[in-house]
Amino acid sequence: MTAPAGFAEHGFLRGMPAESVALLAGTAAAVSFPAGRPLFDEGAPARNCWLLTAGQVALFLRAPGTEDLIVETLGRDDVIGFSWLSPPHEWQFSAETIEATEAFELDGATVMALCDHHPDLGFQLTLRMLGAAVRRLQATRIRLLDLYGTPGPRAGTR
Amino acid sequence: MNLQAPPARYRVAERAEETHDTVTLRLEPIDQPISPHRPGQFTMLYAFGAGEVPISISGEPDGSGLLQTIRSVGAVTRALCQAGRGQVIGVRGPFGTGWGVADAAGQDVLVVAGGIGLAPLRAALLEALAARDRYRRVIVLIGARTPGELVFADQIGGWRGRGAEVHITVDRAVAGWTGHVGVVTQLIDRAGMDPAATLALICGPEVMMRLTARALGDRGIAADRIRISLERNMRCGTAECGHCQLGPLLLCRDGPVVSYERAAPLLSVKEL
Repeated sequence: MTAPAGFAEHGFLRGMPAESVALLAGTAAAVSFPAGRPLFDEGAPARNCWLLTAGQVALFLRAPGTEDLIVETLGRDDVIGFSWLSPPHEWQFSAETIEATEAFELDGATVMALCDHHPDLGFQLTLRMLGAAVRRLQATRIRLLDLYGTPGPRAGTR
Repeated sequence: MNLQAPPARYRVAERAEETHDTVTLRLEPIDQPISPHRPGQFTMLYAFGAGEVPISISGEPDGSGLLQTIRSVGAVTRALCQAGRGQVIGVRGPFGTGWGVADAAGQDVLVVAGGIGLAPLRAALLEALAARDRYRRVIVLIGARTPGELVFADQIGGWRGRGAEVHITVDRAVAGWTGHVGVVTQLIDRAGMDPAATLALICGPEVMMRLTARALGDRGIAADRIRISLERNMRCGTAECGHCQLGPLLLCRDGPVVSYERAAPLLSVKEL
């Protein structure tokens, strides 16, 4: 299968051996979404992930009686969709495009099957998913510090 | 020997509320004005009867009056923030080092601001925009707690119109916010940059500056091309009292703007 144009250049795949990229490319489809299009909903089966190439997607939680609670926004060179990787294989958040968005869509089951047959691809993919998860975790930890909200102790009586 | 000059009296000519706890005052001299400042420098503002605090200058050197942006975090800053039009404030300075924006001539200027850290950077940004042709890209990355806590929000469109690429992120979105949500370091890759030809100017909470400088370093910007603005307990402003010491630096004289190359070894030493 022919790789979608630009697939191998996506930031998520940077440094991945060409053979692994080629295997993955065979499962990828270039997709585009208008602004305001839901990508997935909390609690629904998680089957895909997307390598974003343009636009912006909001990851959020819905709560009764209030606006959606946006957890994070993601854009070019980000990956969105981790829940297909681990049980219960359900989306933990919801996602919706907030700008016209372009991405490469990967089908989780197909990728899993490929990885079963090609451990090198599985390793490369795991490294990258873990790297993305670590960066998100670190960013979340920084936000937990609420750096802008609390003047440091040096503020004192100033 | 005390070399401190008495404060010059300035009158509040204008007061603009930036956020719920931050105001910008435009001050006009009553006495002989202080010397012209360089972007990045600070003054000691004296709220009579309350005390004196170091405040970054947020306006251009040749602007009309002296522009100072103040966040209310204690008794003195509260008094300054509450100062109404006509009120008299004491001013000493300007003190310390500047951003040195001109060092980026022919290159990209990257401004990274967290919270009220945008105040001293505003002066540097305006300097770059006033001589826009001297620089390649002028990139501004701003992080704020919420959209409502974004300072100078009404000016950002104007900066874009003058050739700045402005990217904004907030820690917590509110209804109607369609921008980025996340930490300011996540904007670095969005903006893209040329690490070999970029001068980075960072101001915000110290931890934010450290993390941002590290992220820029990871992307190839040399530590001597990254400048941060540090604050300690500035008192005299003339490097005599030692209150603002950070290791070998007296920040009222050697700072507030310091190269990250010089500051990095000091920023994770708890005893400092």
